[in-house]
Amino acid sequence: MLSVGTSGGVQRKKLFDRLTKPDYLMVYATIGIFILIYAFGAILYGHKGFTSLRTFMLLFSDNAYIGISAVGMTMVLITGGIDLSVGAVASLTGMIIAYGTSVMGLHPLVCISIALLVGVSLGALMGACIQYLNVPAFVTTLTGMFFARGVCSLISRDSISIKHDMIDSLAGFKLYFKWPNELGEWVKIKPVASVDLNTIMFVVMIIIGAVILQKTRFGRNVYAIGGSAQSANLMGLPVGRTRVMVYAFNGLCSALAGISYVLYVKSGWNLALMGSELDVISSCVIGGVMLSGGVGYMVGTLMGVLLKATIPAIITFNGAMNSWWAKIFTGLLLLLFIVIQRLVVSATARRKNK
Amino acid sequence: MNDIILEMKGMEIAFPGVKALDKVDFTLLKGEVHALLGENGAGKSTLIKCLTGVHRMDAGTILLEAKPIRPSNTQEAQRLGISTVYQEVNLCPNLTVAENIFIGRQPMKRGRIDWKTMNKRASELMGLMGMDVDVTRTLGTCSIAIQQMASIARAVDVNAKVLILDEPTSSLDENEVQHLFRVMNDLKQRGLGIVFITHFLDQVFAISDRLTVLRNGKLVGQFETSKINKLELVTSMIGKDINVIYSLKKAQPKEDAPQVLEVDNIGIPAKVEDISFDVKKGELVGFAGLLGSGRTETAEMLFGVTHPTKGEITVHGKRVQLKAPLDAILQKMAFCPEDRKRDGIIGDLSVRENITLAVQATRGFLHPMKRKEQEELADKYIRILSISTPDAEKRVGELSGGNQQKVILARWLATQPDLLILDEPTRGIDVGAKAEIQRLMLEMCEEGKSVIFISSELDEIIRCSNRIIVMRDMSKAAELDGDTQQAEILKIIASEDEKEVSA
Amino acid sequence: MKRKLAGNAFLKSKLFWAIVAEFLILLVGFILRPDFLSIQLRTLADGTRVLYGTPIDIFNRSAEITLIAMGMTLVIALGGTDISVGALVAVAGAIALKFLRWDVLIYNTPGDYTVKPYFYAIAVPLIVCALMGLFNGSLIAKLKIQPIIATLILMVGGRGIAQIITNGKQFTTQYSPFKFIGNGSILGIPFPIIITLVVVVAVMVFVRKTSFGMFVESVGINPSASRLSGLKSGTIIMIVYTLTGFLSGISGLIYSSRISSNDSNNAGLGYEMDAILAVVIGGTSMTGGKFSLFGTVVGSLIIRTITTLVMYFGVVSEAIMAFKALIIAVVIVLQSEPVRNAIAKRRERRHLNIGGEMHA
Repeated sequence: MLSVGTSGGVQRKKLFDRLTKPDYLMVYATIGIFILIYAFGAILYGHKGFTSLRTFMLLFSDNAYIGISAVGMTMVLITGGIDLSVGAVASLTGMIIAYGTSVMGLHPLVCISIALLVGVSLGALMGACIQYLNVPAFVTTLTGMFFARGVCSLISRDSISIKHDMIDSLAGFKLYFKWPNELGEWVKIKPVASVDLNTIMFVVMIIIGAVILQKTRFGRNVYAIGGSAQSANLMGLPVGRTRVMVYAFNGLCSALAGISYVLYVKSGWNLALMGSELDVISSCVIGGVMLSGGVGYMVGTLMGVLLKATIPAIITFNGAMNSWWAKIFTGLLLLLFIVIQRLVVSATARRKNK
Repeated sequence: MNDIILEMKGMEIAFPGVKALDKVDFTLLKGEVHALLGENGAGKSTLIKCLTGVHRMDAGTILLEAKPIRPSNTQEAQRLGISTVYQEVNLCPNLTVAENIFIGRQPMKRGRIDWKTMNKRASELMGLMGMDVDVTRTLGTCSIAIQQMASIARAVDVNAKVLILDEPTSSLDENEVQHLFRVMNDLKQRGLGIVFITHFLDQVFAISDRLTVLRNGKLVGQFETSKINKLELVTSMIGKDINVIYSLKKAQPKEDAPQVLEVDNIGIPAKVEDISFDVKKGELVGFAGLLGSGRTETAEMLFGVTHPTKGEITVHGKRVQLKAPLDAILQKMAFCPEDRKRDGIIGDLSVRENITLAVQATRGFLHPMKRKEQEELADKYIRILSISTPDAEKRVGELSGGNQQKVILARWLATQPDLLILDEPTRGIDVGAKAEIQRLMLEMCEEGKSVIFISSELDEIIRCSNRIIVMRDMSKAAELDGDTQQAEILKIIASEDEKEVSA
Repeated sequence: MKRKLAGNAFLKSKLFWAIVAEFLILLVGFILRPDFLSIQLRTLADGTRVLYGTPIDIFNRSAEITLIAMGMTLVIALGGTDISVGALVAVAGAIALKFLRWDVLIYNTPGDYTVKPYFYAIAVPLIVCALMGLFNGSLIAKLKIQPIIATLILMVGGRGIAQIITNGKQFTTQYSPFKFIGNGSILGIPFPIIITLVVVVAVMVFVRKTSFGMFVESVGINPSASRLSGLKSGTIIMIVYTLTGFLSGISGLIYSSRISSNDSNNAGLGYEMDAILAVVIGGTSMTGGKFSLFGTVVGSLIIRTITTLVMYFGVVSEAIMAFKALIIAVVIVLQSEPVRNAIAKRRERRHLNIGGEMHA
C-alpha cells in the first residue's frame, strides 16, 4: 500500500497538516506582518490613540471602497487575470449617481441600479473579449479603463456634489459601540467608535466573496482555471462561462466600490479614484493572492487591505513624516511579498520533487 | 463481436509536409489492456488525439460499442466514456486531491459544497485503488503516483468505458508501477478497455494482453502479447526501414585522427549516469536506444543546456566548463535539438535571420554582420542544403518541416563547427529530405567535422555511423563497431539485464 | 518581382494602415478646419523665430510619449510590459529640480545658478532612471518575476520616491538653459522635436544596425530556441528595461522643462498606457516578437493627433480617453487571435495555391 501524509486517525497531525498547507503561508505572512506593523504603531503612537477601537474601525471605513473592489479583484487574480479598469468603473458609478440625482433629478435608487447594471455589463463585455477573442486581460481592461474614464469626463468635467436625503442618511448611518457605565446605562465608548454602512458593505462583501470561493462549484472552478485553464477545460469545466462571470462579478464589485466611495465623499468627480486600481491590486498581492493565478483567500485580501491601510495611518499619527512615505513603504511591502511568493513557489516545487 | 468496445478503421490525418496517420486500424476489447507502441512521431499521440477530439481526422471511422462517434472536443469524448490520463497529469495542482476527483460534480448540501462528504467519498475512491492518502492535501504537493491515481479515480468515477493511459509510468518508481498495474488489472476486471501507451517494453509484457505497433504513421501490426518476444517487438518498432533510396558511403576517419571530444564519466544523479565516450575528427558516432534511454539528456549535457554534476568534458584536449549553450558554441560545437518547433526555429523570423542567428550570437550584437554578408551566408546555405524557399526573406514558420530542419542545420553549419550533435534530425520529415540530411552528415565528416547522430531508427544509424553507442535506462549500455548487425543492437536494447551486455 | 511582392506585404501590414489612419485623421481635421494643417513662421517677443501650427504642435507634444514608446516597443517585443515609466518621469523631474534649486534646498537662500548643478540636473535624473530600469530588468531576468508585477513595484513606489526627493515641495525654475529643453527651438524647430528625432534615429540605428533588434525579436518569439542558439536572454532583457528607464528620464526632463517645475503627482500620469497604446497601434503585437519602431512613432503621432483634433473642437481633454478607448478596441479586435487566425487561414489557402503552381 502506498500511503502519504497520515495513516490512521491521527487527527491532530491532520489538522496540523491542513494548517501548514503551503497555500496558507502567504496569508500567515500577511497576518504576521500586519501584527508587527500594528504593534510598531501601538508602541510609538499608542498614547496618541493609535490602539483605540476608533482608529481600528477607521481602517475599515476609510478603505471600504478599496476593500470592496479587492473582493472582485481577488477572484480575477485567482483566475490568473488582471483588471485595470476597476478605479475608472468605480468613478463612473459615482458620476452616474451624482449626475443622475443632482442634475437629472432621478431617485438615487434608480441611479444606483443603472450604475450597477453598467458595472456588470462592462465587466462581462471585457470578460468576453478576454475569453473569446484571446486579447490579453491587461490590454482589454486597460481599454475598459480608458473608456470608463472618458465617459466620466463626457458626463461632466467638474465635481458634482450630491444632495439627497437618502444619500445623506445612508452616508450618515452609524452603529455606535457602547458599553454599560456605572449606572448600568449603555453609553457610547470614548473615543467614539462606530460601524458605518461602508464598513458593513466591506465586511459583507468579503464574506460573500469567501462563501462563493469556498462553497460553490463556481468558486472552485475559479481556482481550477487559475491552477491550469487547460486542465480545467479537459476536466469538462465551463471555463468560458466562469471567466466571463468572474469579470462581470468584478464589474459589480467596482460599481459597489463606487457607491461606497460616493457615500464617503458625497460627490462625483471624473478624476476620482485615479490610480486606485493599483491600490486594489497591491492590497491583493500583499494579501497573498498569487498573480500567477490559482492561489488566494478572501481572508488574505481582507488582511492585505488592512495592512496596506495601516501604513498611512501610522504616518498620519507620526505627523512629521511626509505622507508620500506611504507610497514608498507600499512599494517595499510589495517587493517583500513578491519575493516571499517566489520563495513559496520554489519551496513548493522542491517539496513536490521529494 | 460483442466484446469489442472501441474500433478505429482507416484512420488518416495529414499535417503540412507529413502524413501523420496513414490508414491505421485499431481495436480495443472490453476488459483488456492494449499497449500502443511506437517511437516518437510514429503516430501514437496523433491517433489518441483523433480519438479524444483534439485533432480532426481526414478519413476513417471510430466505433464506440458499435456506434459511430466523432467527438469534436475532449469534453465530448469524456461524456461518451473515453477518458484520458496524460503523462503530465492534467489536473489542477492548486486544488486538493479530493477536489480534483470531484470538481464540477461536487456533492452539494443546502446549495453549498459538502466538503465533508466529498472528502469522505474521495477517500473511499482512493482506498478502492489501494491508496491511503490524505485527500485534503494540495495535489501539487503530492507525488506523481498519487496525482495519477487521482486522475484515474476521476476518470473511472465519471463512468469511463475506455481509459487511455498516456505514458503513465515514466515518472513512477518500481513500487508505484506495480501498484498502478494492480489498479489496471482491477479496472480490467470491471470491464474497462484500457489503452496503455508506454516506451518501457518490460511493462508491456508485464501488463498488456495485446499490443499495436505504429511506425512513421503506419500500422506495423497488432499482436497477442504472449505470442511475440521482445526482440521481434523492438525490430518492428525500430528495425528495417523500408524506404532506403540512396546508398551511402560511410565516413572514413584517419586512424591517427585527433580526438575532438572526450567525455569522462559525466552524469546528473537520478537522471543520467556515468557516460564516457570520445569522438575523433571526421568521425560519425551514432547514439542508438529507445526514447527516454538517456540519448537526449547526454546531448544536453554536452551542449551546456543542463549541467553535469560530475565527470569531465574535454574538447580538443582542453577541459571545458559549459555554463550555457553559448559556451559550447564558442567551443565550436553545435546542437540541433529534438523538438524543432519548441527549441529550434524562430518561427516569425526570416530564413536569413534564422540562419545567421548562431553566428551572430557568437559575435555579440555589437559586431553585426553586414546585411550583404548575411544574405551571402543565407543564400550559400539555401543553395548547399537545397532549402526550397522563394527567397531568404521568407518566414521560417511557413516552410515545411524538412526545410525548417535544414534551416536549423544551416544555422549551425554557418558557425563552422568542429562537432555537430544532431538529435533526431530526420524525424517527422519525408523520405527524400531524410536521405538528404543523412548524405549531408556524411559530407560534413568528409570535410573533417565530427558528428554525433541520435536517432530512433536503427537503420539509418547503422547506415551512417563509424561507431555506435547504445543507450539504455539512462546509461551507456554498449559501444559497438559501425559494422555491427542490427540484430545485435536490438538484442542489447531489448536486453533484460544490463550488466550482462555492457562488458 | 521581389519588389512588387514586398510592396504587397506592406499594403497588408498593420503599419501601412496606421499611416493611412493618421492621414485620415489629419484629413478630417483639415476638412473641418482648413487652418488645421497650416504652418507659419512666427517671431516671438524676444526676436526668435519659431515654426507654429497644429502639425508642429502635434510633433512637439508627442515627444514625451514617443521617447518612452521607443523603449516600450522593445519591452513589448520581448513579451513584457513596463508600467513604471510614468512614475520614472516624475522621478526625473524631481531630481532635476532638486539640483536646479540646490540653493533653496540646501542653503535656504536663493542664489546664483552655477554651471555645475545644470550638468547634474541633466545627468543624475537620466542615470537614476536608467538604474531604476535596471532594477526592473533584474527582477524580471534574474528573479523571473512577471514583468507587470515587477514594474508595479516602482509604479507604486516611484512617485513616493519623487516626492521624498523634493520633500513633497513643488519648485519652479527660471533657469533658461533648463527651460530651453522643453520650450526652446533651433532654426525654428522646437527643441523637443529635435531631441525626439535624435533619440528615435539613435535607437533605430542601435537596434537595426547592430543585431540587437533581431536578438530581441528572437527572444520574444522563442526564448528556448534562442537560448540554444547561444543568446543570453537575461542580458538582453536587462538592457531593454534599462534603456526604457533612461528614455523615461529624458521624457521626464522635457516634461518638467515645459512646466518649468516638478510635479510628482501629475508628471507622466498615464504615460505607460499611452506608450503601450502607441506601440500596439504601430503594429507590434502584445504577445511579443516582431516589432516596428517606425510604427510606434506613427502610433504615438496618431494618439497625439486625435487628442489635438478632439481638443480643437472643444471636447474636454479628459474625455479624449473615451475616443482612445474606441480606437484601441478596434485595433485589439483586429489583432486578436481568432480574427488573425481567420485572416491567416485565408492567406494559407492562397499560399497553398501558389505552392501548387510552383510544384506543377
